[in-house]
Amino acid sequence: MERLRRNPQLQAWLILAIPVAFILIFFMAPLLIVFIYSFLERGKYGGVEWAFTLENIRRVFDPLYFKTFLRSAYIAIVTTLITLALGYPLAYFIAKSPPKRRGMLMFALMIPFWTNFLIRTYAWVMLLRTHTGLINVTLTNWGVIDKPLPLYGNDFAIILGLVYGWLPVMVLPIYAALERLDESLLEAARDLYASSSKAFWRVTWPLSLPGVAAGAMLVFIPSLGAFVTPAILGGGKSLMIGNIISNQFLGAHDWPFGSALSMVMMVAMLVATLFYFKWTKKTEATT
Amino acid sequence: MTETNAVEIQEVVKQFGNVVAVNHVSLQIRDGEFFSLLGPSGCGKTTTLRMIAGFEMPTSGAIYIYGERQGYRPASKRPVNTVFQNYALFPHMTVAENIAFGMEMQKVDKNEIQRRVAEALEMVQLGQMANRKPKQLSGGQQQRIALARALVNRPKVLLLDEPLGALDLKLRKAMQIELKTLQEEVGITFIYVTHDQEEALTMSDRIAVMNNGVVHQVGDPESIYEHPADQFVADFIGETNFIPVTVVSVGPEKVVELGTGEKVTVGWIEEGVKMGDKAVLSIRPEKMDLLEPHQVPRTPASGVAYVKSKVRHLVYVGTDTRHTVILGDGSEVVVRLQNIYIGDEPWEIGEEAILTWNAAHARVLKE
Repeated sequence: MERLRRNPQLQAWLILAIPVAFILIFFMAPLLIVFIYSFLERGKYGGVEWAFTLENIRRVFDPLYFKTFLRSAYIAIVTTLITLALGYPLAYFIAKSPPKRRGMLMFALMIPFWTNFLIRTYAWVMLLRTHTGLINVTLTNWGVIDKPLPLYGNDFAIILGLVYGWLPVMVLPIYAALERLDESLLEAARDLYASSSKAFWRVTWPLSLPGVAAGAMLVFIPSLGAFVTPAILGGGKSLMIGNIISNQFLGAHDWPFGSALSMVMMVAMLVATLFYFKWTKKTEATT
Repeated sequence: MTETNAVEIQEVVKQFGNVVAVNHVSLQIRDGEFFSLLGPSGCGKTTTLRMIAGFEMPTSGAIYIYGERQGYRPASKRPVNTVFQNYALFPHMTVAENIAFGMEMQKVDKNEIQRRVAEALEMVQLGQMANRKPKQLSGGQQQRIALARALVNRPKVLLLDEPLGALDLKLRKAMQIELKTLQEEVGITFIYVTHDQEEALTMSDRIAVMNNGVVHQVGDPESIYEHPADQFVADFIGETNFIPVTVVSVGPEKVVELGTGEKVTVGWIEEGVKMGDKAVLSIRPEKMDLLEPHQVPRTPASGVAYVKSKVRHLVYVGTDTRHTVILGDGSEVVVRLQNIYIGDEPWEIGEEAILTWNAAHARVLKE
């Protein structure tokens, strides 16, 4: 006890030991299990056989699954681009509001998070469903359309659901970057003969790129691995890689293959993250 | 309005909500002049500058730049450039890109841009910094780049908003001289905002002293210092004594009576001050002297004041000593005497002394 009191370094280690142990046990261990499983054979009645194989990894690149991979990436990219296109003006507007109103607007943006994501996604089903959905029923009644629009059970519905879900996450980091932006830089640009659009593209936009990159990462990664939104809004027809993975664990009882799919997806995300760091490093060195 | 004025401000008012930041300001700034707007923070000097730049629009009144009325013309279309208080260099661009920005926006030819950037860097002696980012430069270097970025566009008028405020004293002094020299070389009209009266006196051809959105006095440094128009200017510029007086005669001989009953002649009485009014006599500490009672001539020279006083305390400040003396009515006066010490006994606390000054240096101002 006496030694502990006299040794601040030891104290620091003890305080750190708990979170470090927590991370090691509850974050790393499952990852390690998934990693090991992806090289094992499938058990006859679920579970695993302790025999090394590369078959699972090979199957991931089987066109049947790899196509879903590419489609998921496509959906995630489109989702990211749309959230960016919607989120940037929103963040800009909030950042330019009077300081008192900013807090209120950011608060309003977060309100949807108070309700469970699953429930909100089901609410979208009510809106989008082909024959009984609110949008199609209303438009048909008004005579705007003859037959229902294909709003549900396709990529459109998935992307819409993902955009809806992740929009606030895109707005937050962009808002943070824009709010920090020194107003006098824009005045300097104007003073140096830049039109307001030139001032935006030459000053505001490049200086907000770290926020854009962070927002893009925060939207892209969960969109790529999404499984609730495609499962509900995809109507069982339009699937993403997240659904196939969950299916391997819950339905097909092929844990090794599910693990292999997860590992490959993680590697893909890691590559995206590395790109992100490289990009922000480049832009940050400049700010 | 005359063609020779670089900038003419006519009856300009700027209101922010209920606050009147600039209140009926009129100024004529001449071509090629180093003109300073001087005043305490919140006096409206920066707002005035920002209206010339086009960052703020006047609530009423008109601004002309070389005879052209600016109206609601945006900053990007005015023939002026600004050096900002915090420099406002673009952090994501190199020094050279920063300097080239204005010319790029004006679609100047690429080779021409390159040539002029090199020239501008040469002018501020930072040629080797072209490819650095602003963050990698010291405050003084950033300051110079901001200057180069503005001047490279060859503006008709350069606006400077407390550009030296962030620098330490020594560098500031050096930059003051550099700026003044540069202004003389390029011959561009400079409008310089500062709250530092010494800076304004050192650099300016003319100064406008502002307070509470109003211009109190416009003049060259000497007239501002030697002939302050009112109490605010006398107090804000340099150090001064204010001695309460009652006006006895406003002319032809101007005479006031001190609280002690002693009468003295003065050089100038502010307009509107009448006989019998209470007023203040303003006189700079270095314009006075102390005499031993026996040194007072039998027949005092006309236009010289002699007032009885007693030395209260002394502060030695190197080049001179500040003598605080007390008059018969208890008012304190500070006298700065140079430390020459030739045949002079230094004054001692409690000693009787005759405070004397030339009437020409004594100005009577409204209370």
